Amino acid sequence: MHVNPLSGRKRPATALCAICAAVLLSLSACGSSKKDTSSDSGGSAKSSDTSSGGGSSTSSTTASKCGLGNNKPASGTPVKLGAIVTKQPGTDFTDITGGAKAYFDCVNANGGINGRPVSYLVETEQTDPGQIASLAKKLAETEKVVAIVGNISLIECSVDHKYWEAKGYKEIDAGIAPECWSTPNSAPVNMGPRYSSDGAVQTLIRKGVKKIAFIQSNVPGTGYIKAGPEIVAKAAGVPITTLTANVPVQDANSVAIKAVQAAGPGGGVVLNFTPPEALKILQGAQRQGLQNQVKWGCSTPCNTDFLAKALGSAWNGKLFVNAELAVTDDPGPDSTLYRNIISKYAPKIPLGSFSQMGFIQARIVTDALMKVKGPITVKTANDAIAAVKNFKTDILCKPFYYGQAPLHIPNNTDLTTTPKDGKMVKDEDCFAISDAEPDIAKVRDIEKQQGAS
Amino acid sequence: MSALAFLGLPTWENFKPFIVTGLALGGVYAVSGVGMVVLYQTTGVLNLAFGAVGALGAFIAWEMINNTGLPTWVAILTCIGFGGVVTLTYGVIFGPPLAARDPLTKAVATLGLALILLGAMSWIWSDKARSLDLSTSNSGFEVNGVLVNWTQVIAMGFAVGLTIVTVIYLRYTRTGTAMRALADDREITATLGVPVRRVEASAWFVSGCVSGGAGLLLGNLVGLDAATLTFLVISSLAAALIARLNSVVVTLIAGLAVGLVNAMLAPILSVSEYRDMSPFIMATIALLWLSRKDIRVTGVR
Repeated sequence: MHVNPLSGRKRPATALCAICAAVLLSLSACGSSKKDTSSDSGGSAKSSDTSSGGGSSTSSTTASKCGLGNNKPASGTPVKLGAIVTKQPGTDFTDITGGAKAYFDCVNANGGINGRPVSYLVETEQTDPGQIASLAKKLAETEKVVAIVGNISLIECSVDHKYWEAKGYKEIDAGIAPECWSTPNSAPVNMGPRYSSDGAVQTLIRKGVKKIAFIQSNVPGTGYIKAGPEIVAKAAGVPITTLTANVPVQDANSVAIKAVQAAGPGGGVVLNFTPPEALKILQGAQRQGLQNQVKWGCSTPCNTDFLAKALGSAWNGKLFVNAELAVTDDPGPDSTLYRNIISKYAPKIPLGSFSQMGFIQARIVTDALMKVKGPITVKTANDAIAAVKNFKTDILCKPFYYGQAPLHIPNNTDLTTTPKDGKMVKDEDCFAISDAEPDIAKVRDIEKQQGAS
Repeated sequence: MSALAFLGLPTWENFKPFIVTGLALGGVYAVSGVGMVVLYQTTGVLNLAFGAVGALGAFIAWEMINNTGLPTWVAILTCIGFGGVVTLTYGVIFGPPLAARDPLTKAVATLGLALILLGAMSWIWSDKARSLDLSTSNSGFEVNGVLVNWTQVIAMGFAVGLTIVTVIYLRYTRTGTAMRALADDREITATLGVPVRRVEASAWFVSGCVSGGAGLLLGNLVGLDAATLTFLVISSLAAALIARLNSVVVTLIAGLAVGLVNAMLAPILSVSEYRDMSPFIMATIALLWLSRKDIRVTGVR
């Protein structure tokens, strides 16, 4: 039935329709990223050198310490450190720099870096290469920071890596762009979407799947990422189909069905999405009764209790997530300190991989700077960072190192987690990312040559 | 080898589950489209904030269910009522001053509301993963080997039911007759003694309640994500455009078709990445087809 059966209306409906469609299409393109109650701030307890490493549980529940751990506020000339972080609608990585700042606040309350407080300057960017380049110059030339720690940006490594190399900065960061793992002056504490997807594929292959369907968001860089799972599956003799889905996902049920059909009976589906998008697909699968038809895997972003809570118990033990860092309730000393300082210095930041990454980066750099003899300059600070070797922590599977190399992938050993009643728990101990990946093979050779592994 | 396989397409067995998901989503597109068409016909306003209002209602429902312990039905009613109240408030405040402006100005004004609500949602709830669980999604039945859950049934049923009720209401009630009269000529209707403001207010309120219901269903069927729910209005708009913003029955059929075509393209890997365009391709083809007589008469300029 026509609401308006008469033809004499004067509203220019067709023209309006066309204009509105164009406006909305443009907008849609634009539209489209608990706490421990302990009061121990980390001012006491034993050194991280006593921690287990290996990412596995230890019997210790004693926290590591912040800096000198003397409970005395630091004074004197601050040691300036800097970071560049993406913060824009839909993509906000400031939990990482927030985690780093929490640790530095704790260091400042515990004697600082040999008595000097840390001044941590965090610059936010909105994926504008010009802006990112100018922020790097601002930090290095205006603020005169001595080191870069906590960088996490969609494109910062691509834009700035040559600048940092020219200026002699050795970044410790959390990577996203490929240059974060393929250039000499960047050593991320994470391994990024490609190698994390590799890890999820390896896990499902170990669990006996006959075929893999790897599906990720349809954004720039998918070709680089999907090459990893393809190499790993091929090396294992397992067929693989790679798919993409437009984000934000508007028809999660269909995406889930498509992935399950591509995997086939006895197959496995590996997702590489942000947590909200992965959640939509997993719930779409659940609504269609598909969670038992294949095995499900996911790269690191799924390793968050927030996602586990949203999934509920229906997914207990049915989703295998590659985790680049230890589970947040690991009893190791660094994990205990991490929970304590987030609770005390950054209570609004959730426990999870992001704040863990910031924490561990800050801890590595603090440890390195405390070994500097004499003035802390750009040269002495970055020499100390480059000298980091065998840094043991229960948050990473194996000790962190920097060294001199054309590329750095120090985190190349991961574990697997799975949801259990609203929390992510460990499913599988640390395992090595496949050296069928050419750059992983190179890094393993470098580790052997430099005795870093 | 089947004809589908010969053409390099998935088998019929592979297509079957997409029919259900497509019809369910299409049902919600149709519901939203019907709400938009009725409001447009009555007030001359194309409400581009339809999705954002529903999304905010769905977030409030999520908050109530997860953090207040209130029963789910209270959250559902609150979501629907919230949609009605917010839309009515906007209509009462901005409707009269904009009444004499052209339709495009009125539509862009609602876009402002949509962006404000979207910003508010991002600010309050960030972009963390959330899920709006409805018990109707946890049970269902099988049809020819395809699982159908009750939320999907409700989505399709709501679309058909809403359309039937709207048709009856517009034809057989005084307010409905007044709405149809307003659609034809606002000035003459006013001079005949029809309480224009009251009739328009009722259209704003009912349309808002429909947006709340659609937001709830989409929050469950698609996921609780502010941007996704806000911009899903685009597919609904395509359905309304196919109906040229003046037929609720055609809007229903178009909404179901948009959802179905979109879903059926998913398993065809060669075009799957581009299927989000399908609502607009369908709308463009429909508008060109429906305008062919005008084009013949006036020529293309």
